[in-house]
Amino acid sequence: MVKRKLGALEKVEADLPNLQHKIRRDPKSYIEDFRAQHYQYESHREIFMAAPASATDTGIISLRELIDFIAHVADCYPEITKDFPQQLMDILTQHHLILQAELREKIVGSLVLLRKKELLDSATLLQTLFPILISTPSKTLRALLFQKILMDLRSSNAKSTNHKLNRTMQTVLYNLVTSDRTSSKGLWAIKLTRELWKRQIWTDAKAVEVMKEASLATNEKVIVGGIRFFLGGDKEREEMEDESSDEEAIDMGRVKHIVGINKKTKKKARAVEKARATVKRRERKKNQPHPLNFSALHLLHDPQGYAESLFSKHLQSTKSKLNLDQKLLVLQLVTRLVGLHKLHIMHLYSYFQKYLTPRQPSVTSFLASLAQASHDLVPPDDLEPLVQKIANEFVSEASAAEVASAGLNAIREICARQPLAMNETLLQDLVMYRKSKDKGVVMAARGLLSLFRELNPEWLKRRDRGKEASMGLRSGDKKEKRFAEQAAGGIEGIELLEQWKEEERRKKRAEKGLASDAEDDDDEDEEDNWDAWNVEEDEDSDDSDGWIQVQSDAEIELSDSDDDDEDSKRPKKKAKSDEETAAETAAEATTEASKAQKELDQKLSLAATRILTPADLAKLQELRTEAAVNALAGVKGRQSASNRHHDDPLTAEEIEGLAALSAGKATREERIAHAKEGKTDRADHKSVTAKRKEKKDAQGKSTTNKEKARKKNFLMTLGKAKSKNKRSLVQTRAVLKAHQERAKRGGRRGNTGN
Amino acid sequence: MGSSSKKKKEKQKDFQKAKLKVGKTKAKPDNFTDTSFKAKSITLTQQSLTLTAPTTTTQFTHHVSLLGSKSDAQRRDALAHLTTHLTHSRPTGAPLPQPVSTLLPTLAPLLLDGSAGVRAQLVRLLRALPPRDVEDHVAPLLPFVRAGMTHLAADIRGTAVEVLAWLVAVAGRAVVGCAGGWIKTLNCFLSVLGWHTAESAKWSASRAAVGKSASAGRPVVRVLGVLAEFLAVGIGAEEEGAGRTAGAAVGAGTWEFPLAQVEAHMLPQTAQPYVYLNLFGQPRDEEGEMYETREDRFRVFAARFLKAVERGVESARQDGGEVGRASSAVSKVLKEALGYARGAGLEV
Repeated sequence: MVKRKLGALEKVEADLPNLQHKIRRDPKSYIEDFRAQHYQYESHREIFMAAPASATDTGIISLRELIDFIAHVADCYPEITKDFPQQLMDILTQHHLILQAELREKIVGSLVLLRKKELLDSATLLQTLFPILISTPSKTLRALLFQKILMDLRSSNAKSTNHKLNRTMQTVLYNLVTSDRTSSKGLWAIKLTRELWKRQIWTDAKAVEVMKEASLATNEKVIVGGIRFFLGGDKEREEMEDESSDEEAIDMGRVKHIVGINKKTKKKARAVEKARATVKRRERKKNQPHPLNFSALHLLHDPQGYAESLFSKHLQSTKSKLNLDQKLLVLQLVTRLVGLHKLHIMHLYSYFQKYLTPRQPSVTSFLASLAQASHDLVPPDDLEPLVQKIANEFVSEASAAEVASAGLNAIREICARQPLAMNETLLQDLVMYRKSKDKGVVMAARGLLSLFRELNPEWLKRRDRGKEASMGLRSGDKKEKRFAEQAAGGIEGIELLEQWKEEERRKKRAEKGLASDAEDDDDEDEEDNWDAWNVEEDEDSDDSDGWIQVQSDAEIELSDSDDDDEDSKRPKKKAKSDEETAAETAAEATTEASKAQKELDQKLSLAATRILTPADLAKLQELRTEAAVNALAGVKGRQSASNRHHDDPLTAEEIEGLAALSAGKATREERIAHAKEGKTDRADHKSVTAKRKEKKDAQGKSTTNKEKARKKNFLMTLGKAKSKNKRSLVQTRAVLKAHQERAKRGGRRGNTGN
Repeated sequence: MGSSSKKKKEKQKDFQKAKLKVGKTKAKPDNFTDTSFKAKSITLTQQSLTLTAPTTTTQFTHHVSLLGSKSDAQRRDALAHLTTHLTHSRPTGAPLPQPVSTLLPTLAPLLLDGSAGVRAQLVRLLRALPPRDVEDHVAPLLPFVRAGMTHLAADIRGTAVEVLAWLVAVAGRAVVGCAGGWIKTLNCFLSVLGWHTAESAKWSASRAAVGKSASAGRPVVRVLGVLAEFLAVGIGAEEEGAGRTAGAAVGAGTWEFPLAQVEAHMLPQTAQPYVYLNLFGQPRDEEGEMYETREDRFRVFAARFLKAVERGVESARQDGGEVGRASSAVSKVLKEALGYARGAGLEV
């Protein structure tokens, strides 16, 4: 009998993937099959719901496979499957505790898939998944859910910020944290917020509010999570950004070259497309204006109230269960807030009194926190006893060198922020320690000395003042700052610009053959300036990559009478920051004020007499960065300390300072390690050939014959060398002849041409 | 130089004698092989030997437990054993070694079993079950039957239809009256026959069906037959003496004048008289609802299925042959039902 030929479709029995594939291609024809499978799913669901706990794999097809199948093709039949997402969510929310792990994961995955197919909106999905995330005891499920939630939030914020979703989610997290302050469920809110903060998806005050509430909880883990966010979240975000920005660069030329040589397949073509898209995306990203990201500490609504409640709840109260490390974290945050926002907390300074002894564990952290907490609006009466206590307890000939240097460093840091906390006798006493035998103490004392040379040289003894400070004193330049006195601001680096302009002018005059310091006619200069202005504008209209339009009411206003003297005296410039607006007001004041303020006028002469053109501003920026680089390259250690941004935290390491110097002689290993610390890797200084060879090795290319010959084991070459000596004249001749022939041909494999 | 002294030292090491210390275990030699092992359980391959033969009840229980076995043959054999026990070795009238209520949950999943032998044996076993006992356990069994009817594999669909035929024959009223038994099962019928939409019911429709198509040849005849039976029980003309209303008509005569419809106030005779209240289950939707009376069923049928069934029957008649003959049974039931409905004044 002839075997009946079986159609391809008849062979397969229960092949859901096959059906899925067919449905994808032609949904209309297979609607009956899909309907049947949907009934099948319904029946299985019914069976499952009757006994959720004892669900077993029934027969060939299980509920899991059916769910997977329907989720994959649900978008083809929205009418039939309109209840499907809701059913899945019901199963998950009601039975997630007893579901089989595989089925559970499949349901979660299917829900996310449905979300991707837009059959389910994000808010509903998150409202389903999130309660399970915080209530389920299964670790794997939690990990899965967390990942999915995060992914969903990221993807729905990918193209543009989904404010509505973010708001609802943040409200959910906020409620989670505030509803039950004793439970550790708030940790999930912290984890989620921190992750989204790191990825710059949430950058607003509401996210910070969630963290704020978390840090005011009563559960230790939640508290620490919240505190750590404020102390480290922004740094993490910066690092993340750096990381993503210096991803491996794609060399388009290389990619194209490879494709040209290798076999052409669809896959490779796709890879090229992908690489091109990536390069394009990066280009676009590079040209985008940098988003304004405020740090979490700046986004707090009521820093004073927050700091106070943190202090009273976790530090002052006797009921707080935090251990020392956790308390230190809280203290760091509180003091950082105090320093940053210039807050005043009544009992903060007296709280420190108890902890400022050398025997206190991690006392350097306390010292750092104290220094952080001092700012120029703190009454000196609060700080003076503390400084006195540090001096008494830490700084004495009897105490260990590390202790003394830590104390001196702490005093210096406090005085750098509030000089009035110091008095003359104490200062002179402390400065004497620069004659100490120990190097660490000497350095610390010198640091204090140089600080006061700048701040208030009058308190120093005459011989300690140094040249600059003495001259400054004589000219009245260096004066003691009164309490809460605010220095008039200026444009950062304006003197650099002035200096540079002066030099340029001199050069020009030298070219013309005029005396270099003679007065220049203003008109010419003015014209130059306007040229610069126009040039920049032209460029602007061509491509606007360099400039971001910042709209503000202090925009450039060009008056009609350009030649008017008074107008040209008036400063007009782009107001970009507070400093500049401050400078503007100051400059206006100078035009009105009398000659008594001549010094200030001198300082701001450029800003007051010229309109800074975009070219000027660009030059200014350049000079500023140059100066910053120079300062970094300079050897002076203390300069780097003074360059610290006021947002940056003060750490215990800085207080410990050069204590390493006083720790006695280092062992050889330590010295080597220390010497190696700042140096680049030896591997960076290689010959060009070595580098080339390395590259070749890395690319997996073969070696040349020459290299092989060079690398050959010496013993293997010995035999040949020996036999060479024993050759007869005829043999030698033959060999030489052969060699000559070969050379003519161009080597063993050379093209003979015949 | 350096290397030779190093080598010397290494050589020396081999000849050094290990010192024994009191209270310390002796050092293991270099060529020591670790033969210890860990295992969660150790199975000894020995049979337990008992002198007394197991009782029939124990054997029965043992074979029930074998129904969940991994191997096809074992499951089939267990089913065969159970069948013989039920049909032959049991004295008539004696109760089952295990009640049907415990048997059915283990038997039901086997409906969807991949092996044809197991399923055939299962049908045989089900037929051997005492009909009175099955009547009360129709509701949990039906979802499995429905799942079988819509299964991708044609063989399983066939088995499920067979089982449904048996169920209808044994406990027809329970099948059509239980929760979800009417609408959902009819849906499955339409899906098996491919009668759901106008296009798919046409004979010229592109039958791009996956798996062996059950919509041609003998299986369709069987499905049509079962459908006719199912409809006859659900909405067909009622035989005398069956069902509650008929019973009431008979019983009404036996009561004296002032008493009327007494049986409504008597103790109910079914096992679960208040199940329609659904006090403990999930809330039901329209499809999962119980339709206990013939009028209810007909109303639903007329609203949702009548058109599709009529269309399907018509096209089956046009197909002619065996299928056409089988469709005539369905159309006969339909005619009866329509006539009854018109008589009862129902909207058609």
